[in-house]
Amino acid sequence: MRAAGPNAALGEAGFTWLSLKSGLGARRDNGLFSFLLVCIAVVAALTVTGLLILAVGKSPMAAYSALVRGVFGTTARFAFALNKSTPYILAGVGVALCFRAKLINIGAEGQIAVGGIAATWIGLNLEAAPSALIIAMALAAGAAGGAAWSALAAIIWLKRHVHEVLCTLLLNFVGVLLVSEALHGEMGEPGAGFPQSALLGRSAWLPRLLPGTDLHLGFLMAVLAVIGGYLLLWRTTFGFRLRLLGASRRAATYAGIAEPRCALAVMTLAGALAGLAGAIEVLGVHYRLIEGFSAGFGFNAVAVALIASINPIGVLPAGLFFGCLEAGALAMQRELGVPSSLVFVIQGLTMVLVLCVMGLSPRGRRV
Amino acid sequence: MLQMRGICKSYGSVRANWDVDFDVPGGRIVGLLGENGSGKTTLMKVLFGIIAPDAGTITINGRRIAPQSPRDAIAAGLGMIHQHFTLVDAMSVTENVMLGWDRAGYWLRPREIASLIARASQSYGLKVDPDAIVGDLPHGQRQRVEIIKTILRGAELLILDEPTSNLSPPEVAGLLDVMRRLREQGRGIVFISHKLDEVLEICDEIVVLRDGEVAGRRAASGASKSELARMMICREVATAIEKRQHDAGPAVLHVAKLSWRDEQGMERLRNISFSLHAGEILAIAGVDGNGQSELADVLAGLRRATEGGIELAGQDITDEPASKRLEAGLAYIPVDRATTSLVPAMSVADNLALRDFDQVPLARHGWLCAEAIAARAAQRIAEFDIRAAGPDAPASSLSGGNQQKIVIAREVGRRPKALIALQPTWGLDPGATRFVVEQLITMRDAGGAILYVSSSLEEVLMLADRIAVMYGGRLSKPIARDAADITEIGLMMAGAGAMSAAAGRSA
Repeated sequence: MRAAGPNAALGEAGFTWLSLKSGLGARRDNGLFSFLLVCIAVVAALTVTGLLILAVGKSPMAAYSALVRGVFGTTARFAFALNKSTPYILAGVGVALCFRAKLINIGAEGQIAVGGIAATWIGLNLEAAPSALIIAMALAAGAAGGAAWSALAAIIWLKRHVHEVLCTLLLNFVGVLLVSEALHGEMGEPGAGFPQSALLGRSAWLPRLLPGTDLHLGFLMAVLAVIGGYLLLWRTTFGFRLRLLGASRRAATYAGIAEPRCALAVMTLAGALAGLAGAIEVLGVHYRLIEGFSAGFGFNAVAVALIASINPIGVLPAGLFFGCLEAGALAMQRELGVPSSLVFVIQGLTMVLVLCVMGLSPRGRRV
Repeated sequence: MLQMRGICKSYGSVRANWDVDFDVPGGRIVGLLGENGSGKTTLMKVLFGIIAPDAGTITINGRRIAPQSPRDAIAAGLGMIHQHFTLVDAMSVTENVMLGWDRAGYWLRPREIASLIARASQSYGLKVDPDAIVGDLPHGQRQRVEIIKTILRGAELLILDEPTSNLSPPEVAGLLDVMRRLREQGRGIVFISHKLDEVLEICDEIVVLRDGEVAGRRAASGASKSELARMMICREVATAIEKRQHDAGPAVLHVAKLSWRDEQGMERLRNISFSLHAGEILAIAGVDGNGQSELADVLAGLRRATEGGIELAGQDITDEPASKRLEAGLAYIPVDRATTSLVPAMSVADNLALRDFDQVPLARHGWLCAEAIAARAAQRIAEFDIRAAGPDAPASSLSGGNQQKIVIAREVGRRPKALIALQPTWGLDPGATRFVVEQLITMRDAGGAILYVSSSLEEVLMLADRIAVMYGGRLSKPIARDAADITEIGLMMAGAGAMSAAAGRSA
């Protein structure tokens, strides 16, 4: 994965695109050019999926317009889509920062789950406290849970030299199963018939941003995380270290950077963001812990980070794209009976096509 | 058996090979001697079809060949044992021998191959267990696997590139034994080496290359070490560059009994001691791969010494990380611009800040000060005449010379007490080389202490106030430039100097 990562593919076909690139006004980060390439990939993915919709005997245009209406039809629907995007964006920022340092962290799935457990525990046990305090504590607990889960993977990797992909991947399964374990044990709601916790008290619910919609505070936090991630990467010494680690381990040593400390820090930070995403999902969407509440979130976050060319700012549109597709898919299924699972096809195809197209991007990204 | 006639190969204006004739009769061992860059590698690459010669012919057993690839060369009966082995560590000896070998077939017959290996081990004294995992074997045994691989593939002529450089003395003796047996079998052997003792011991004939041309041919029985050393290095001896005459100041960098072992436990630096004084250039001469880059890395803090101590201006820095050494005033120019001293994808400004980006004034409280970084970049770009589109241009867009200017500007511009420069002119054109040399002289004249490591004897003689020679992980006692005898230095570089034996103790 390390060698075959997005930057390995860069450069080869680069020069053929140079003229096109300069015509677009070459900015130092090639932002516009990358954006155009991504758009081409998205259109291609939609076209292929359209053929699949045709194959099940429905009209692609009708399906897509249902999808678009499902997202943008009403404010409430759009708010729902933003909520859907929130965990992808939050966890995606952390994963993107790890990728920047060439650390393959695919443990967001488990970190989100553990964050959700921690937040639920605070929410259930602190009911008497003032609302702001409960929410703050629960969010902090979620972040801490995710951070601890991620740090555990990092420490196993650094101390025992187990590959970081293995550590983060395998702890996902443990983290997800911990949710079931908690819900079948004392955190579960007696007599619910489904593995879920008791409903949290209203004082633990995340405040709404827009009256009349479900849009919760978490989305704002996700946007702040994107901005924070950008500032961290480009404006701080820590970000400089990450960029240097990602560019060349030898150069980083030469520059006097202690790799293990830096790696542990960024992994922990990514874990905290993922844990926060889990907490927000519990406090802002379900108001309780549910088995499988975060299924696929972590892996989608990895996809989002990859699609965003491993730049924290790009995580925002990529996360929104994923969230909107899923929100729209439900409408598509409701109105036309087109299976919503086709959306996974769009997601998957877009992923692959964007990554292919990034291979054409001249020079790749700035370090 | 092998005849190469009139081989020429030029890269631009550089003659890597010029009208080289090279013969290897069957049943003979021919030594190929020469400094770094004398054309040995080019000649062997031509023979192996890795590069095409501009002119010249190759004949094997009376048949003209023009190998287009190593595959052709192997088919013609050539076999090459590279200095860095091409074995798969996780596989067994048998599997390694089968790898990529047509005769192994599609349906693998490991037993059969193993017995072939066993037979070959017997007849050449190449003792090796066919079932052993290559990763578990010591270096000498891995080399045997390479030799067996080559022999089983039917090589009539073996080329051994620096085969003894990583071997312990008993392993070297074993290898020489194997070579004798191969010779008895009528095979021809090319022995590429810098080590005069070994070359004289094993070879029948010796061919010396210098600046791409054959400098001389001798029968080993009649040759003397000093004669060969002179052939290798004899040229118009470069005169020392004009420098301000001044007495060296106090010792700035003090190294005592420094040793370093690599991950395999091999001792790469042995008991090195020296002092570097203010206002002098101490040059370390030596053939590449004798521990120079390891020494530089250990001094700069990129590797940790296993024994011994390093003191900078009275401060013990033996266990300090690279960043602390930098603060203490130790600058370092590593040889590898692509991966170590520069980050090609980063901007010129970021590269200029590479080593102190987290210190005031470039950063405060963990935040980078973009203005300070830009201001310093602008200043350095002007001061060191770095030709770049601007401070924001990626370093990869600069020429090699200007990239090295970035490194020099960063390291010298901080006015360090001591500077370690490892082959700082490597890969640079003459103009850029002159710039680097001038900068180092300026720093010396201003009282800076410079440890200049180079495999180019010419540069060493041109720049040095004192010269020491590195060989096999040991450093000779430094001698003054004016007292240096070029033949003696040549002998020391080839491991045959009178002083080299005493080097470790006396420095």
